[in-house]
Amino acid sequence: MHLGVVDYGASNIHSVARALQSLGSKVSIVDTPDKFKSIDKLVFPGQGSMGSCIKKLNETEMINPLLDAIKSKPFLGICLGLQILFDSSEESKEKGLGVINGSITKIKDINKENLKIPHMGWNNVKIEKKHELFSGIEDKQFFYFVHSFVASNTETSITTTHYGEEFVSSLATENIFATQFHPEKSGEIGLKFLENFINWKI
Amino acid sequence: MSLAVRIIPCLDVRGGRVVKGINFKDIVDAGDPAEAAKRYDAEGADEICMLDIDASFEERSTTIETVKSIASQVFIPFTVGGGIKSLKDIDMLLKSGADKVSINTSAILNPDLIEEASKEYGAQCIVLAIDAKQDGEIWNVYTHGGKNKTELDAIEWAKKGQDLGAGEILMTSMDKDGTKSGFDNNLYMELSNNLSIPVIASGGAGELSHLVDAVKLGKADALLAASIFHYEEISIKKVKQALQTEGFEVRL
Repeated sequence: MHLGVVDYGASNIHSVARALQSLGSKVSIVDTPDKFKSIDKLVFPGQGSMGSCIKKLNETEMINPLLDAIKSKPFLGICLGLQILFDSSEESKEKGLGVINGSITKIKDINKENLKIPHMGWNNVKIEKKHELFSGIEDKQFFYFVHSFVASNTETSITTTHYGEEFVSSLATENIFATQFHPEKSGEIGLKFLENFINWKI
Repeated sequence: MSLAVRIIPCLDVRGGRVVKGINFKDIVDAGDPAEAAKRYDAEGADEICMLDIDASFEERSTTIETVKSIASQVFIPFTVGGGIKSLKDIDMLLKSGADKVSINTSAILNPDLIEEASKEYGAQCIVLAIDAKQDGEIWNVYTHGGKNKTELDAIEWAKKGQDLGAGEILMTSMDKDGTKSGFDNNLYMELSNNLSIPVIASGGAGELSHLVDAVKLGKADALLAASIFHYEEISIKKVKQALQTEGFEVRL
């Protein structure tokens, strides 16, 4: 099993790569278009804005091989890696990858509960639909989040989390799984989740 | 449902070893940083903080090795501070596995550093660390590990830090640090009332009730402590259970 972690030049990809390596996986950094081919499964960690991410993917000419991989290989998007799957985001003028219908919005209702933005820290993840990637993980466990924008409405939702509003903390469709939380920073439970991804058979 | 109160054990490191002093003085050796970090992770720490207490240029490579060693074994958020002077320092620490950097003296000497770092890496990875000592009605800011007094008011400086783009404030009360007599809750309450970014309280933890009070009275978002966790005087789990009993959200 050969895992690829996409590096488009703006994201801290090292912690994801380290976590996957600690689970015994062979991990390669995918930072050029030709490196997608030899990879069995792809992880896309992201931070920053959707606009700058899409721009960088265009500059590095990785956008088409990335789209091909998303269609054909087990794929895990993390944080911005979830958001760019959507059509658009309030954060940026640039369109997303459009793999999932809908748009990303700024977290709402923070004033009502006197909450701080970004949503940063450990929060509960409520399992709404069974999925292999959550096997062995109990309902309402804590995962680590750092973000200001959310997906709040999609039929693909697997888990939800409450912060100001109920938002989609993970989603899945066919070979695609994506999380708003950072499994690579969520301790033992996060590692269990990543192990499930490594073992995921489609 | 809200965010869990974070418990952050701090490793004060010098020359690749954990050390501990009282009131920033009388330093003693207290073990291997990566081993300690692993133990804290297993005990339920929500983050790990490592402060290189007198990071000099010569010791940079030791610091980087320690950061790499911790980051390859511990998979929770990891903050590194001490001697950070430039974007290049920050870049190197983040690449070595730190998730956040904590900046203290350099932010006072060069406030642009906070602004530039926040723009470059995002507010979520920039922690402004402040050492403060009470003087009558106010708290004065000190630099260089508590050695030099400045004219800055700690609350005002924290607000400025927030405006410059810091994502969190790590405030250490020098009056309380190492004394085990409880946190300076007035300081933290004043801070929390004036800031919209999270406040990490540090200095003075000695008993379970001190930690609970820093959240209850001081309204701290996170608690940082070194010696009580290092010497296993109070377990992280006990702190979380006590907070939960008081109705606070914790990750247990």
